[in-house]
Amino acid sequence: MLGGIFVKLAFLACLVSIIGFFENHRTGNARALRVGRIFFHTTVVTILIIAAAQLYNILTHQFQYTYVWSYSSRDLSLPLLISTFYAGQEGSFMLWTLFTALIGVFLMADSSRKGYEPQVMSVYGTIQLMLLLMMVVKNPFAYVWESWPGQVEVGFAPKDGRGLNPLLQNYWMVIHPQVLFSGFAAMGVPYAYAVAALMKRDYNNWIRPATPWIVYGATVLGCGIMMGGFWAYETLGWGGYWGWDPVENSSLVPWLFSVGTIHTILTQRKSGAFVRTNLVMAMMCFLMVLYSTFLTRSGVLGDTSVHSFVDPGMWVYWLLIGIIGLFVGIGGVMLFLRRKEIPKIPPKHSYVSREFALFLGSATLVTAAVFITVGTSSPIITQILQGKTTAVDISYYVTTTVPLGIVIGMLTGIGQLLWWNRTDKASILKVLAIPIGIALAATLASVLLLQLHDFVVALLVFGAVFALAANLQVGWRIVKGNPKFAGGSIAHVGLAIMFLGFVGSAKYDDKQTVSLAQGEAVHCLGGYKLTYTGYKPIDHEKYAFEVNVEKEGRQYVVAPIMYYSKYNDGLMRNPDIVNLITKDFYLAPLSLEQAGSGEDAATKQLSFKKGETKKIGELEVMFVDFDFPVDQKAAMLEGREVKIGATLQVKQYGKKPVEVSPSKVMNQGQVIDKPAMFDEKHQFTIVSMKPDRENKDNSTVEIGYKELGAGSSKKADSDVLVVEASIKPYINLVWSGVIVVLVGFIVTIVRRAQEARLKEQVA
Amino acid sequence: MKPKVIIAAVIVVAFIIFGSYSFLESNVEYTDVSGAMKTHKKVQLKGAWNKDRESAFDVKTSTFTFYLKDDNGQECKVVLDGAAPNNFEMATSVVAKGRYMPDQGYFHATEVLTKCPSKYEAQAEEVKKST
Repeated sequence: MLGGIFVKLAFLACLVSIIGFFENHRTGNARALRVGRIFFHTTVVTILIIAAAQLYNILTHQFQYTYVWSYSSRDLSLPLLISTFYAGQEGSFMLWTLFTALIGVFLMADSSRKGYEPQVMSVYGTIQLMLLLMMVVKNPFAYVWESWPGQVEVGFAPKDGRGLNPLLQNYWMVIHPQVLFSGFAAMGVPYAYAVAALMKRDYNNWIRPATPWIVYGATVLGCGIMMGGFWAYETLGWGGYWGWDPVENSSLVPWLFSVGTIHTILTQRKSGAFVRTNLVMAMMCFLMVLYSTFLTRSGVLGDTSVHSFVDPGMWVYWLLIGIIGLFVGIGGVMLFLRRKEIPKIPPKHSYVSREFALFLGSATLVTAAVFITVGTSSPIITQILQGKTTAVDISYYVTTTVPLGIVIGMLTGIGQLLWWNRTDKASILKVLAIPIGIALAATLASVLLLQLHDFVVALLVFGAVFALAANLQVGWRIVKGNPKFAGGSIAHVGLAIMFLGFVGSAKYDDKQTVSLAQGEAVHCLGGYKLTYTGYKPIDHEKYAFEVNVEKEGRQYVVAPIMYYSKYNDGLMRNPDIVNLITKDFYLAPLSLEQAGSGEDAATKQLSFKKGETKKIGELEVMFVDFDFPVDQKAAMLEGREVKIGATLQVKQYGKKPVEVSPSKVMNQGQVIDKPAMFDEKHQFTIVSMKPDRENKDNSTVEIGYKELGAGSSKKADSDVLVVEASIKPYINLVWSGVIVVLVGFIVTIVRRAQEARLKEQVA
Repeated sequence: MKPKVIIAAVIVVAFIIFGSYSFLESNVEYTDVSGAMKTHKKVQLKGAWNKDRESAFDVKTSTFTFYLKDDNGQECKVVLDGAAPNNFEMATSVVAKGRYMPDQGYFHATEVLTKCPSKYEAQAEEVKKST
């Protein structure tokens, strides 16, 4: 109850602070600025109270709250219990609000020093306001009796909650969402600065204070994306680090925009050109965050995501559309109002200049972002165009982004070389010679030695190696001079390494499904010897299945995990990985076929009345009558061997019906099953018979049906573990590349922040 | 018109064509059972898992077989490469990506996506049960 009131209070305080800041922007009234500041701080404190209240509810198991009941339970460990704070939709919006508030505190101080405070804070406050509005509409403090009015009595407190989805019960859940949402929150800052620049009619200086924030946003969001990929790869067992899923794409697109913005802003600093482009780009970083949120949170994508969010209701849907409309509107109207004043400086640089390479690089990133956005929105686009929702296949993303990757590889190399050697064309060619030579050699080597026969992929290898060589060459010289300036080179080196990792892990991965009988060694994937040694219980009724992996005399033990989850009412699986420096050996469990249970598991029992027809698989089966000839009756009376059967009429679709008669043979108390085959695949047995002497039509028979070939046909002598073994070559390049990129970003933040501070001291 | 503008326009148009071509090429339609049977193209078959029918994982071929019932109540055997996805058992609806094999009489799926009930579909009954 109290929490809900605080949400409304925070909303009101935020509204007052926006009015204060805006009033100060309009009139310069110093009291209005004070009001803005005080109320913004009030908003932040109130949001902290809200978050603390929710955390308190979770930690003390207040299951009368719908949110707490829905996502947590008493058996969760403390870190996981804390992570239920953002396990649901309301919670993730609260986390986003919380980070927006915290970043706001620093932004207010920083923008104040740089003279942008009233403008930046009135825009940034509006973002905060809209997030709070989301929380007003979808109250995270609703009681269970409010969520189901009339069905749950007022004051009812469940003893335990529904618990956290086991898929999320993982240490990545503890850190990944925070990083991602602080990245989302940071993307609000470039938007706020761009609109502030238009409000202040200051089209050039805003990029200096804004740059460290954009790089910061790109770093944090990039970090979040990487963690998501690692989580998917390492524990969820999706087999890869990237699946072009809408949720993954929705964090990638704003990131591409932010990286593009970093590049065009560099050009504006140098030549003053691209003023309008930068304003639009900075806004797009945030608008794409909003659009992505809409795609993944409104239920509009429905079935096309692995993350599958179920429709949160019309309110959220329209509110998200309204919020996007509002921020597109603010940006659009400001650009329209200032359209004549924005200086148009024609880019003077030649086509062989660093500025032009930067512009092209940024354009390529935006193109990739557009392609990905179109793909992710495909269900909406096709709904509008053809009235039917359809989605693009993953291959769409690969075909559209790989060529752009080649261009990016080439440009990062050329751009860096041009930056260092901005002299005449002859010397440029001389500098280009070394990296081109190395790239050619590497590409040729991979075509000849590694059997790389895909032309486009070979080009990607060329581009990546060229970028790597060029950036190492330039980077080395920069580091020797002033390491602070090396951020760009480092990030590009990382990017090139990452590209090579993509090629290695995607092009050369090899997988095979193997059935491992306990204790028996099985060879697979050319040179790996796998032996399933048995399973042992680990925490929470989970089981680790130990498999010995032997390769060229070296031994490893992998222990993928499988367990039955009550929450999901299904089997959960976690893979296990051996990291071999040049490749990962990846073992994903599929199932465990237990000894002796093989036959029963595949047999299906069905009860028939006389004359009744039932469908089994593609067969239609009718119970005609018992097969109990007169002579058998006599035999039974005399105590000889007796055969009793049932006649079934089996019809396969499109074919003539066939009679099948499974039977049981009884002799001196022993019963032997005589199964009957329909064809070599379908086998019928009699489980039991209940003849009704009074009314023959009430007689029933229990028929066992088994499809041979599906499931094990003979009893297994020992447990059989079925796994998918795969080799992911050079996957370490992906991870190390990402880390190098992040290091590059951090070096850049430090440098740009120092530079912005220096500028401020001069000014 | 400056040649610069023309070159830029050509590049933009080329990208649009390239993008739309890839889009149409890889567009996978949602369909029901009868729709899937009519085409040889890769489709997304939407429906629910029919729990009354048998479903099993086949060790030999490493495939998972189940029966999918679409919104019209029509049923189809689905053979998935690999094991049932993690959330399969609690999914309210599933989407099988793949194509129908008329000769074998089943839908051969390369991927099955699951849609799971979230708290928004949690029932009041369930809250009461938590006592």
